[in-house]
Amino acid sequence: MKLTDKHLTRRGLLKAGAATSLVLAAPLHFVRGAWAQEKAIGTFPAGTSGSSVKYGFIVPQTGAYADEGADELRAYQLAVKHLNGGGGMLETMKPLSLKGNGVLGKKVEYVTGDTQTNPDAARQAAQRAIERDKVIMFSGGSSSAVAVAQQYLAQDKGVIFMDALTHSNDTTGKDRRRYGFRHFFNAYQSGIALGPILAERYGKDRRAFHLTADYTWGHTQYESIRDATEKQGWTTVNNIMTPLGAPDFSQYLTAAINSDADVLILNHYGKDMVNSLTQAVQFGMRDMQKNGRNIEVVVPLYSELMAKGAGDNIAGVLGTANFNEKLDDPGSAAFIKAFTDEYGFPPSQAAQTAYVQTLLYSNAVEQAGTFYPPEVIKALEGAEIEGIGPGKALYRAEDHQCFHDILVVEGKAPSDRQNQYDLLKIVKQVPREEVTYPADIPAFGGKDAQLGAYEPSA
Amino acid sequence: MSNITEAGLATGYARAASRQPALVTGTDLLVIGAFVLVVLTMPWWLVLIAGYEALATKIVIWAIFALGFDILLGFTGYLSFGHAAFFGSAAYITGLSLKHLTSDIVPAMAISFAGLFVIALVIGVLTLRRSGIYFSILTLAFAEMAHALILSSTLQAWTGGDNGLTGLPTPTLLGSPMRGLTVFYFASAFLVAGFIAALVIRRSPFGLMLRAIKENPMRLEYTGVNVFAYKMSAFVISAMYAGIAGSLTVIYEPYVATEYIYWSTSGEVVIMSVIGGVGTLIGPILGAGFMLYFENVIQGFIGEQWKLVLGLIFVFMVIFLPGGFVDLARQIWRSLGHRIRARRYNVPDMAPEADEDRLRRRLDREEAEAR
Repeated sequence: MKLTDKHLTRRGLLKAGAATSLVLAAPLHFVRGAWAQEKAIGTFPAGTSGSSVKYGFIVPQTGAYADEGADELRAYQLAVKHLNGGGGMLETMKPLSLKGNGVLGKKVEYVTGDTQTNPDAARQAAQRAIERDKVIMFSGGSSSAVAVAQQYLAQDKGVIFMDALTHSNDTTGKDRRRYGFRHFFNAYQSGIALGPILAERYGKDRRAFHLTADYTWGHTQYESIRDATEKQGWTTVNNIMTPLGAPDFSQYLTAAINSDADVLILNHYGKDMVNSLTQAVQFGMRDMQKNGRNIEVVVPLYSELMAKGAGDNIAGVLGTANFNEKLDDPGSAAFIKAFTDEYGFPPSQAAQTAYVQTLLYSNAVEQAGTFYPPEVIKALEGAEIEGIGPGKALYRAEDHQCFHDILVVEGKAPSDRQNQYDLLKIVKQVPREEVTYPADIPAFGGKDAQLGAYEPSA
Repeated sequence: MSNITEAGLATGYARAASRQPALVTGTDLLVIGAFVLVVLTMPWWLVLIAGYEALATKIVIWAIFALGFDILLGFTGYLSFGHAAFFGSAAYITGLSLKHLTSDIVPAMAISFAGLFVIALVIGVLTLRRSGIYFSILTLAFAEMAHALILSSTLQAWTGGDNGLTGLPTPTLLGSPMRGLTVFYFASAFLVAGFIAALVIRRSPFGLMLRAIKENPMRLEYTGVNVFAYKMSAFVISAMYAGIAGSLTVIYEPYVATEYIYWSTSGEVVIMSVIGGVGTLIGPILGAGFMLYFENVIQGFIGEQWKLVLGLIFVFMVIFLPGGFVDLARQIWRSLGHRIRARRYNVPDMAPEADEDRLRRRLDREEAEAR
């Protein structure tokens, strides 16, 4: 057989070439970061091709929650400083992949935006950060409505969103999203933590009257606290929905006084809580007796900023919090010290959750070895981390809720305070196991609640 | 005296309306051409001035809203403080249709268009009986009612309450997803069509009637014109522009915020019109562009005090430039030594340089002759 008999046709050459390249390319499928797996999603890889990456911090700079937003921004700036230069919780976090030289060797920069405490404005600000500044992750918010809106945007755009201050069950309940993660605790957990303490303090046969901010967060908190207290044997006398931002609560408080309830539960936040609590005290409710017992006031979600606004009226009022500046575990201590050194006053719980979220995301990127969102999400899902607060924290894979110890706190009387920031005292640190619940209970959307895809559609 | 002249003006317009001028002139074609060019290249040039693509889409959508608003405020002189009711209702109807029926935008837009037509008719019938501040208050009241209805616990299961309407699928048009530039060009088509329609309306006898209503509705009524029908038409047309903008907003990002139906949305479109230049068509469009650019780009440079700066700009505009950006452009043009021809559309029997004074003089003369 002569060599020339083997016709080397054009078609044959093409076939052979295709087969060869297929064989050569095959192993790439098993290499992480290979072309076939990491397709472009959201701002990846456009936002990570340079020597630095950008994070977007979209916080309320104007509107009702501007104070919380300002504190969040301080925490974000501190987190970026620590990511680039070490320090803070980078010294306590375990397991830790961050080296204090940026993330994956890239310097971290950031852009900011104003949510105006308004979901639409928040989404616009986030869109700017994503489209123009190509942020690889965005974080912030101080309102559950904003958080929910941002999570849907995140899923739609394929850019991870790390929630800051959002306490509604819906955020990791019926509106949970694959691209959204919440470190802050929720209303349901407030109920679990607060219920037993209330029964212990005030007895098992109390009659409660609720005033509730008339929007999603208020509704979920009312339901959670109602269920938790009724489980302890309490009776719910009535619940009045009050408009958000109401300046005057006297008519609702009058209804509460005229009922036979002996506990007033204020499902209010921010200025609403400051006003309703102050007016309740002015009405003399704290000195009144019903059913032979003192009337008690409960504020299920407490914050330092609210305590500051309500002044002396918070003495003896119970509630729950995600964080307190008196925590002394290594992680909290490192953060509180770094924050106080930087700004001259202790951080609020809004600041703490903002700071931790930034670090958790960055650490997950280092662990995944890539900014590719699906890999980062997988690194966060089910991650158990120590040294970012008391005990071990777990990011549950099913609903992206972070579980950790939460606090039951009580307002301090003016005489017990050591300085102007010393407003709340920790009554109980409720361990993570106690505030863990199944991911598919009805309060969290039941079995219908789905996270959605790792790779956003189209 | 001035009352008589104004009444005369109204009659003059009405009389002129009976003759048919050309609806689109050569200059208009030039204006439309330039307009199309500027709009369609926006995603490109907006990036050069620190903007971004999605902002271009948002500007186009709000331009449609402001343009429609100008037909009511600029032409007819009715200041509605409740246009959020139309913008928001259309957004909710579109959103609900996308969520529960089909992700295709054609039925969604059709349903919202039809639904909004009914809503506009009902609100129009109830509010247009009054004018001036009473009309403004009535429209505001209806918008607030619509907002309360959306947030009410009865409808919350459908509207999502305070969270807004979430969980919408990616909208599609005949099977292809509506994202990014596709949405931009889709919305731009509506803006261009809306702009041409508004130009034609301004030229048409119908547009002339609207201006006559602005000048003196009572006199018009006495001449036997059904003023209410004209007001109603202007109101519904304006509402439909708002509705298209509302629908497009949901297509642009599949989410409905409760703010869309809140009074702040109504206020924003009023401000856009005022700072752009009421009654100029192009003015409100410029106003929309400016507001959104400021809110999204300049805000980032100023930081937390951006609202204060924006407020100052409004104050200065209203005090020194009540005619808005268009007036500013005219003043600059004049200071450069050019003459501005006072254009009176729809008055075919007058020389192009004819101005209001000449019309007034002629009407005075005619009145004197009649006596």
